[in-house]
Amino acid sequence: MMKRLLLGLGGAIALSIGMQAAPAMAQDCSVDVGTVYPTSVDWGQPIAQTALWVGDMINEAGGVDGCEVNMILRDDQNDSRVGVDAARALVDLDAVQLLIGTVSSGISIPILTSVTAPAGVMQMSCCSSSTRLTEIAASGEANGLWFRTFATADVQAAVAAMLAQDGGIESITVVFKNDDWGQDIGRIAAEAFEAVGITVHESIAINDAQPSYRAEATQALRDQPEALYLALYPTEGISFVREWIGLGGTSTMIGANSLKSDDFRTAVGLDNLGSFVGTDTSSPRVASADAFVEAYTEQFDGPPSGPGLANSFDAAAIALLAYHAAGSDATGADIAAKVPAVTDPEGEAIPATVDGFARAMDVLSGGGTVSYQGATGAVTFDANGNVSAPAVSWVFAEAGPSEERYISLEEVATFMGSMN
Amino acid sequence: MIQAILDGVLTGAIISLGAIGLSLIMHMLRFANFSYAELLAIGAYAALVFDGLFSALVPVLDQAFAPLTLTGALALAMVIAMVVTGLSAVIIDRLVFRRIRLKADPLSMVFASFGVALIIRNVIVLIFGHHAQLYSQEIARAHVLSFDPLILIKPDQVFVLGLALVLMLALHVILTRTTFGFAIRAVAENPTLAQVAGVRLSAIIVAVWIIAGSLSAAAGTLYALTNQLNPLIGHVFLLPVFAATIVGGIGSVYGAVLGGFIVGIASGLALMLLPPGYAPAMPFLIILAVLILRPQGLFGEEPR
Amino acid sequence: MIGLISYLSFFLTMAGIMAIITLGLNLQWGYTGLFNGGIVAFFGAGAYGTMILGSGAEPDQFGGFDLPWLVAVAGGILFAAALAWVVGVLTLRLKHDYLAISTFGVAVALESLVRNSQWLTGGARGLRGFPRPFEELVGDTFTYGLVFLAIVLVVLALVWWGIERLVHSPFGRALRAIREDETAARALGKNPARLRLWSLVIGSAIMGAGGALYVSYTAFISPQDLLPVLTFQVWAMLIVGGAGNNRGAVLGAVLIWGVWTLSGFALTRLAPDSMQLDAGSIQYILIGTLIVGMLLWRPEGLLPERISQKPTKMADKAVLEVKQ
Repeated sequence: MMKRLLLGLGGAIALSIGMQAAPAMAQDCSVDVGTVYPTSVDWGQPIAQTALWVGDMINEAGGVDGCEVNMILRDDQNDSRVGVDAARALVDLDAVQLLIGTVSSGISIPILTSVTAPAGVMQMSCCSSSTRLTEIAASGEANGLWFRTFATADVQAAVAAMLAQDGGIESITVVFKNDDWGQDIGRIAAEAFEAVGITVHESIAINDAQPSYRAEATQALRDQPEALYLALYPTEGISFVREWIGLGGTSTMIGANSLKSDDFRTAVGLDNLGSFVGTDTSSPRVASADAFVEAYTEQFDGPPSGPGLANSFDAAAIALLAYHAAGSDATGADIAAKVPAVTDPEGEAIPATVDGFARAMDVLSGGGTVSYQGATGAVTFDANGNVSAPAVSWVFAEAGPSEERYISLEEVATFMGSMN
Repeated sequence: MIQAILDGVLTGAIISLGAIGLSLIMHMLRFANFSYAELLAIGAYAALVFDGLFSALVPVLDQAFAPLTLTGALALAMVIAMVVTGLSAVIIDRLVFRRIRLKADPLSMVFASFGVALIIRNVIVLIFGHHAQLYSQEIARAHVLSFDPLILIKPDQVFVLGLALVLMLALHVILTRTTFGFAIRAVAENPTLAQVAGVRLSAIIVAVWIIAGSLSAAAGTLYALTNQLNPLIGHVFLLPVFAATIVGGIGSVYGAVLGGFIVGIASGLALMLLPPGYAPAMPFLIILAVLILRPQGLFGEEPR
Repeated sequence: MIGLISYLSFFLTMAGIMAIITLGLNLQWGYTGLFNGGIVAFFGAGAYGTMILGSGAEPDQFGGFDLPWLVAVAGGILFAAALAWVVGVLTLRLKHDYLAISTFGVAVALESLVRNSQWLTGGARGLRGFPRPFEELVGDTFTYGLVFLAIVLVVLALVWWGIERLVHSPFGRALRAIREDETAARALGKNPARLRLWSLVIGSAIMGAGGALYVSYTAFISPQDLLPVLTFQVWAMLIVGGAGNNRGAVLGAVLIWGVWTLSGFALTRLAPDSMQLDAGSIQYILIGTLIVGMLLWRPEGLLPERISQKPTKMADKAVLEVKQ
């Protein structure tokens, strides 16, 4: 009886889903693009949503080489076996030439080495931070097919040290998320602080999904640091910082760009964030970053909140524009070869709006180059697919994160030079 | 160190509330219920819904009982959430576990409970979304009990501990002073004999689920009050609650209470004993230690 | 067509690896009644052991002994077996539920250790740099996929054959004896504790072999591969397929891995675009419903245990003698 009930229920659901499926937009051709993101994790869903939104914008601007972009989204469940399988299905069964994904380096790496690179499919990640990926690209294993719009930790850490120094801070405690990103940036940041003469009391690891971070907060409090450096995602960031403030810890905090989140601001409260300053990547023209925030707010009824959204936007935009430049029947290698045409500093500067995309697509079709001014700045990629962009410091304001000070690449480089 | 112990007592109180129900369920129904901790999530979210409802309908309730962050609306919501969660637990048992119980072995129930946990957690995500939520934006400030050694305590903590103890005391009274309580204990000890004496087994099972559900709802709400609400609450508490049950001995309510505090305090002390980053391993190290020294847990039945 | 074959070969490779692990669990649970809640720990031990022994050297990193593939795999399997021996000695006296939770705890502790010891295991960064077996010989990726699938199937067949021999040997009969009636078995001189320990060790070695194969394919391992979801998946495979039955174990592995991966694929094809973002949660609900439904419908598994009815040679001879 139960079996029949379940079967019936399953059948009804499947039928209703099938009936709801929207008919394909009437266009001559379509191009499939694979997208693998952890949609079943809280911070993963907005990242995927942003990528899909870019696909819609590109279609509005005319599509890739006149063809409709069909973004096929798969969940990697934050599990490498599932993620690699999803990538395999996209590459083998859907025959995509471009794969956008994923967040966790522990999944991006096996996808790159066992699926996309061997198959000649270009892979663009918004958020994988591991330095291993640079190693893989440098060794040639990635066949020039790997890109990521995620700024490397050393620049962000140097900026954090710069801000700490400017703030006259003499002692700090590093609090980092205990995954590959957090371990990396926590370590590099501690080194950066030490290099400018700031005492690092200790580095505290914050594990995911713990009932309480009180013990960690109390431990940090023991040394009475002048400031905290936070390399956390919003979920554990909220838990930890609320505990910290409740215990009377200092509200002088320097945060990584992962905390650029509305949830974090609301949960911790603007009055407790008066002395909070964050680091992030930026654009020489502050205009483009604002344009992203405005467009996002309009689209999703709220400002971008959470890690990786701006990066996700740029990853999808650059990849799709390069696809357009390469033509609808391009291979992964062709698309990869066109990425420099989209991010050429000498090219025509275009903003990340539908009109901007349309203009870019015109220029690219004509064989010209553009300089994409994106949500994370005017990014350019080096030979290993790493992005370099100027930095910015930001604070929390009523309307959302607000950029305070722009720090050019040269300034960062000089500072990093002086650190040793 | 005293601070760590105090904090551990707070987390421990919440774990204890959760563990009592699990201990009774595991003992009576003889299976490790991996969906149990989701009852904490159901309770916390139910409280969220009713809190919103009451605050909107009767604005005067939306004031906190200073110095706590607890509002009248939330207090009332918590009571309703306890009832709702108790009923949900009974419904889930009716729909899934009872049928499997009648047909198959305990291992199938363990598996079914994994499936049920996945379903509950993701239904919560579909309805409420992934992101963290709070009952109240205010951050409760800690009071300094002493400066050296530094000891801080929040009023919310004291309330949580107090309420947890009150609930446990209420349960104790029910178990030892009422016929109903005797019936539960009889069934826990010897179901066949209890049935011979006229106790209706199915009624007792329903009663135990209601108790387990309501205590878990209280635990979930209290946790969300002092921390945050997110769909992963069930996942976060599953292992500590299991650890507490094992340490205390399956079937013993007092064992579960003690086990909860032990696990909470040990987790609090974890940072002092282990290098940073190893905190998640702490509850299990305790389990291993207790089980190697005393396999049936502190108050469990002697192994036959 | 090539795409389909390529995907199928990958799918079957992963299903085959899962089947190997499930066979190991079947030895522990189906034949010996051990509730192993820490499957992923033994899988991980095999994987990390193989990686550390077989990968190339890296600066500031322990390991990278660059040993030949078979030696590295053997090392990984031995490491898994050794871990099982230690765990077994500490916890095998415990009953069912307690054993499950303790072994689960061991898995959590191992993941924690691996995540935090950067010098030993690369920490959260993981380890890479493993040369895949025979990769230089076969240049083409598509063909290599098929070659690796063949390797996995060979190992699967070896494990199957090995377990079948083991189960029909005196050791296997002793295992059944202690599972059915421990007191009687002990009266007959069998040592249940030692038998259980051996079963745990051999089963875990098999799981370690699965891990070694996995890392040989992906050439990368990180603490993310040591999360408890694998333990749950393998148990589901055994329960759905039928515990105590090797064919059931393999069938269950293919089915559950199929459900897990194809549900995601099906949702991309069938679900409307507006639901794409929720597809992840819906996939989990589908998987959960399927498992619950399966248990409600056929809790003994698809292929229930069959007690072997084959008479031994001695029984045959005795019958002949009686007849004469």
